[in-house]
Amino acid sequence: MTLEELTTAVITQTYVAAEGWYYIMTGLMVAIHVGFLMYEVGASRMQNAVSSGVKNLLAFAFMIPTFWLFGWYIYLAFPHGLIPMDMEGYGVPWNVSMGPMLSDQLTGVFWAAFTLFACTTASVFSGAVIERIRISSFVFLAVLLGSVCWNLGASWGWHYDGWLVTKFGYHDVAAAGVVHMIAGWFAFGVILNLGPRVGRYNADGSMNELEGHDLRFSFVGLLMIIVGFFGFLGACLIWPGIPAYEGVNTWTTIYFVPATLSSFAFNTLMGLAGGMIGAFWISKGNPFWMMSGGLAGIFSCASGLDIWYPGLAFVLGFVGGCIIIPANNWLHKVFKIDDPVGAVAVHGVAGIWGVLAMGIFASGYPGMDDTIPAASLYGQFVGALTMFAVGFIPGWGVSFVMKMMGWLRVPDHVQQAGIDKAELGLKATNY
Amino acid sequence: MSIFNSWPGEKGATSYGDIDAYFTSANSEGTLIFWTLVCIGILCFTTWAAARHESETDKNTK
Repeated sequence: MTLEELTTAVITQTYVAAEGWYYIMTGLMVAIHVGFLMYEVGASRMQNAVSSGVKNLLAFAFMIPTFWLFGWYIYLAFPHGLIPMDMEGYGVPWNVSMGPMLSDQLTGVFWAAFTLFACTTASVFSGAVIERIRISSFVFLAVLLGSVCWNLGASWGWHYDGWLVTKFGYHDVAAAGVVHMIAGWFAFGVILNLGPRVGRYNADGSMNELEGHDLRFSFVGLLMIIVGFFGFLGACLIWPGIPAYEGVNTWTTIYFVPATLSSFAFNTLMGLAGGMIGAFWISKGNPFWMMSGGLAGIFSCASGLDIWYPGLAFVLGFVGGCIIIPANNWLHKVFKIDDPVGAVAVHGVAGIWGVLAMGIFASGYPGMDDTIPAASLYGQFVGALTMFAVGFIPGWGVSFVMKMMGWLRVPDHVQQAGIDKAELGLKATNY
Repeated sequence: MSIFNSWPGEKGATSYGDIDAYFTSANSEGTLIFWTLVCIGILCFTTWAAARHESETDKNTK
């Protein structure tokens, strides 16, 4: 074999391996949606369990074509703000780049991974609105979140050329801000307009617990989400050898900064454990919050998942697990919202903590080269504020218009009859 | 071979050239010991808090 043949073989194998990696990670991420579906079905009352699951399935089904139609293009075209870059047709659905090509093995699998990230944002949102949102309005809002909002935020802060990265050194490798904050605060905006489930609040403002019909579904569902997150986090790294960044022959983050899969393994597990233990302590052993705390622990470490010392990741996760329960109580008390799964606290609040923790404990970390500012608390604060706005403003604004149109909320008498029976003619079980 | 450090302490490196340990406070063994002790403290404290809650439940249900 000549040197030229050997070089060709190595390059070919590098790209085939990268293609395989993202393909497998995409499959693994489906577990997130299995998990969210089970979690939300379990957290729903029996009379609404089927419609909660239908909502999750539809979010998945609508996100895939819309992310092919415009979601991927938005992510690629807007890193500099609201004016799209000229990409010579790349990324638009009628361009050859958006179909299988022998000369481009990676667009399809990158698109697929990003589509599953988009589905994750929709699943985060769906838990907050169960048992009273119209399925059609949910689908519309899920597409707005998953194929427009989060990917715009990702274009700004989760792209090596995004303005938050190049101007502020924003560092959010595993998407505490660009996925969890945007989805959590989008959900908050919607539930302000959607209102609580019938029976959630009494006339004097006191709150009733509307317990889900089967906690076991929620347990298993939350564990499945964690399984799926290993696919999500694995897909956040760039396969060695494919970034166009000279001299880097290891994994890199999405900012083309060197990283290792081991850093993700160390810190995902330590953050998860810290979050579970923190929520265990605060909730006095409530398993629903312990599992949510585990997720919050991962999100608390997500911005700096590539660089934390594992002991610090555990502490960050512990703090995340501790803050979500009082944050959830405070949001309910002050805003009289109804968030049956605590999605705003688990994703929105823990996401803020994750983004700011990067600035507090890891200021000074360099970007990929001298053109990128080092990470700083100021840059992380600007990033957090931006992610909050990208989630909350469209969520609140569009759902407000939908509310005015009478296209948001299941009427109270249908809620009381049970959505499964009234709308679908089904019931969750026959026992 | 350099290692990274960030708050608290001096920066060990400002770029990724010739870096090995690149996690937070990698060049400060004292800081790593501090976080290790905090971890151990959290584990001990939460176990103690759970045991106390169980004992209180025992008293309250007699």
